[in-house]
Amino acid sequence: MAIQGSPLAQVLAYQIPRNSLALLMVAQLVVLAPLVIHVSPWIVGVYLVCGLWRWQVYVGRWNYPVGAVKSLLVIAAVVGLFFSGFQSYSLEAGTSLLVLAFALKLLEMKKYRDAYLVIYLSYFLIAIAFLFDQSLLLTCYAMFSLIVVTAAMVGMNQRQAKVRPAASLRLAAILIGQAIPLTLVLFLLFPRAAPLWSIPLPSAATTGISDRLTPGDIANLIQSDDIAFRVMFEGNVPPQRELYWRGLVYSQFADGTWTMNKNAKPQVSLGRQGRGTAYDVFLEPTQSKWLFTLDTPVEYGRRQQLLSDFRLVNADPVLSVLRYRIVSDATKILDPSIDDALRASETVLPAKDNPRLRAYATEIYERSGRNASLMANVLLTEIRKSPFHYTLKPPQLSPINSIDEFWFDQQKGFCTHYAGAFVFALRAVGIPARVVGGYQGGEINPVTGHFVVRQFDAHAWAEVWLEGSGWTRYDPTNAVAPARVERGLRAALSNSDRTSLSFLTVARLDDQSLFGSTLKFIDSLEHLWNLSVVGYDVAAQADLLTKLLGRVTPVRVGSALFVGGGISVLLVVGVLFFRRRHAARNAAEQVFQNFCAQLARQGYDRAIHETPAEYISRLGTIAQINPKPLILQLHAHLYDPEFESNRKALSELRKEFRKLRFKLAFSTTVQAS
Amino acid sequence: MKAAPGIERRGFNAWLARRIPPSTRITLSQVNIFIFPTRSGFIFGVLLLTLLVGAINYQNSLVYALVFMLSSIFLITILHTFRNLSGLSLEVCEVRSGFVGEDIEFSVRVERSKGEGREGIEIGWPGGYKQSVELFDEQATTVRLYLNAHARGWLIPGRLLVETCYPLGLLRAWTWVDLKAQGLIFPKPIFDQSHNSTLSGQRDDGVLVDPLGSDDFVDLREYVPGDPIKNILWPTYARTGELAVKRYASYLEPRLWFDFAELPGDAEEKLSRLAGLAISATQSEREFGARLPQLEIAPGIGEMHLNAFLRELALYGHPR
Repeated sequence: MAIQGSPLAQVLAYQIPRNSLALLMVAQLVVLAPLVIHVSPWIVGVYLVCGLWRWQVYVGRWNYPVGAVKSLLVIAAVVGLFFSGFQSYSLEAGTSLLVLAFALKLLEMKKYRDAYLVIYLSYFLIAIAFLFDQSLLLTCYAMFSLIVVTAAMVGMNQRQAKVRPAASLRLAAILIGQAIPLTLVLFLLFPRAAPLWSIPLPSAATTGISDRLTPGDIANLIQSDDIAFRVMFEGNVPPQRELYWRGLVYSQFADGTWTMNKNAKPQVSLGRQGRGTAYDVFLEPTQSKWLFTLDTPVEYGRRQQLLSDFRLVNADPVLSVLRYRIVSDATKILDPSIDDALRASETVLPAKDNPRLRAYATEIYERSGRNASLMANVLLTEIRKSPFHYTLKPPQLSPINSIDEFWFDQQKGFCTHYAGAFVFALRAVGIPARVVGGYQGGEINPVTGHFVVRQFDAHAWAEVWLEGSGWTRYDPTNAVAPARVERGLRAALSNSDRTSLSFLTVARLDDQSLFGSTLKFIDSLEHLWNLSVVGYDVAAQADLLTKLLGRVTPVRVGSALFVGGGISVLLVVGVLFFRRRHAARNAAEQVFQNFCAQLARQGYDRAIHETPAEYISRLGTIAQINPKPLILQLHAHLYDPEFESNRKALSELRKEFRKLRFKLAFSTTVQAS
Repeated sequence: MKAAPGIERRGFNAWLARRIPPSTRITLSQVNIFIFPTRSGFIFGVLLLTLLVGAINYQNSLVYALVFMLSSIFLITILHTFRNLSGLSLEVCEVRSGFVGEDIEFSVRVERSKGEGREGIEIGWPGGYKQSVELFDEQATTVRLYLNAHARGWLIPGRLLVETCYPLGLLRAWTWVDLKAQGLIFPKPIFDQSHNSTLSGQRDDGVLVDPLGSDDFVDLREYVPGDPIKNILWPTYARTGELAVKRYASYLEPRLWFDFAELPGDAEEKLSRLAGLAISATQSEREFGARLPQLEIAPGIGEMHLNAFLRELALYGHPR
């Protein structure tokens, strides 16, 4: 079909085909959906208004907005963005700007170029969605978006009168399917690089432990069943009570809040001596640099660094799932000796708050013979014996003398209360002590055998410096609720606490239920996803390349890329160009070829010199039938180019050949018996 | 040969002539298909680079994966774009003649090989409009291309551009094929009544053509078997016993001779006037011939003669 060449056709050639325009608008919606939660609602509103307007233009009811209206819209959008309260240099602000541009572009999407701009922006927005979330679910959705956007691009080049969105979608899916092998090769082998420059970050709205610790903080975290990180151990898994995931160290106390010591200096690696526990952590994005490790990391990656308070930090903020490999040695003595500066900074307290606890601390310090270790044990015994309660809903405390109130009056609290009071009491008598934040425990996923540590595993404990043994871990929570440490949060919670948790959290805590085990299965998929795709970084690539190539040199990597890429492209070439090489002339020949192949398997090969007629005659003799009718029937159709459409004759031909085949099979059995 | 704009460079044309020699039927294959990214394709490349920088800076595996997926799609599209042209056969099946200033119709038959359908193919000469071609259910189609004729003689449109940006518009596969097409262009006719009347005075002797079909009685002659019975002069037969038939005569208008030298204007205008005269003469069913320097066109009548006459005019002074 040829479309007449007229000036009109030439103009139409530069217009967006209607076929594609509808797809393009659908693609926009699909791409925007996952970003809706990251931009202001009014921006979504602007998009919907523009979309409606463009739709009315599409169906021919309204007209495009005039220039003045467009200018007004752009100005209003920029002003709106300015007053939306985004941090000026955040990812959300950038995304909002892009989405606005995307929406306004709708109103002047007339020409070919405009449509391509929208398509490219769509690809860009798919990428941006990955910056916020790297889950398996979002990736599946992104594949779907990719097909729709690509289909819109295909539609741009189908200039026929017929509207065929299904054909566009099908071709897009085929293209993407054929691109998968090459994508895999590139993904595995294309050299990864270190970040080039600093970038706008998502504003830190993610849940997780922060660098300030007030007594209520972690109790709020318990409400969240978001994953903090997953861990895969190599070899033996330490017992649950040893799984203290140390992340933050709080050395300063003021106004009821513990804050982190920002001045911790980097220190050299402790060096591995003898055995340790090796494990891989897949840390979910925190937008911060701190990492969580077991005591005490002795081996870690090049992009990680150990600080003077034995925290491990990453070189860059963790923006996507970060995989890091650690060897921890729990027997390491931390700071065998302590200098005056450190002693001063780890014992400092505000001048005169919480007087009751100070007095009490001095009293038991004297009672325990000025021995730090004894004093700590006396405090733990005190917690154990007195009517202290472990609860997620502690009563409100006044900010100034909060520790006094907790220790002497309320005696109800959560891990932060116990750890804070414990450290305060020790510091009050000059014993170096600090609060440590992180996670405790985790649950094993039986499907893949990895540990999942969730936000509700957040925990705070104490470290006390003891002569001879260095920094030593004390967990006062263990004294009030031993089950919390031994068997996890579930065991430590009272019924009233449990009802305050979300449905999902309760389900996760209850691993007996079917729902709980389904969640575990989904989690194991997510873990495999992180393990193989999201966590595939420079180090993982180096591992793979070493396994594949032996020695990693640019020449070897280049050749591997070339060979792998070549094979993937050749596969597609095979599918596209050589699929029909041995195709039959028509359906009759196809039926005959199938028949020959089946009979060859039965032991009646067609000799290379045999014409179809000779072959069928020979078979007829064996089967003791008259081959003539079948030969005539075959010959009647063998050279008929239109035979495909003659369905009745085709099925009859098939039937006759099937009959002959069964006769032959039967005669074989007869001969054999 | 009228060179197509865009391929005016002599060296390139010579190379093209060696690469894709002129032929009446050309099947497209890797030998004669070129492929290169379009402007959109280059912008797509910029998009890929931007995304790659994003993937590196955010250390995001999935953005990497997206970049690689889009790059792979781009590479795979090369194959698809190539395949859309590969296996197409082109030949010119009919060329209509016409006058200077008219759009001349060239019918090009486009045939595809077995397998997938083709779409989004554009065919056209650089000077003319491009035609979209798609082949789904049918094996072949005929495309009518029009090219404006600027001068009399052979209109050689030169190399035909066959191109496609299908399926993504990121790459353009194209070829220049010379199908040896040529259309005959007659001089643009000038109709001038005044000259027609003066020229019609240049009579030759009339010729007796159809002695039996006319009204004017001339004489009697002896019957020859085959003469119409109604022309037999029966009274004479009754008297003499001899069969005699009446003869009627019709004289054609005397044949027209057009003389190149006597027409006004320059040579091309004279040819145009000759063409106009010839057409007028054919319309009024007159016999005509013409004398040109070094060429005499023998008189004749009817459409066939007109075509031959116009052909002589079209090629007058041109190497045959």
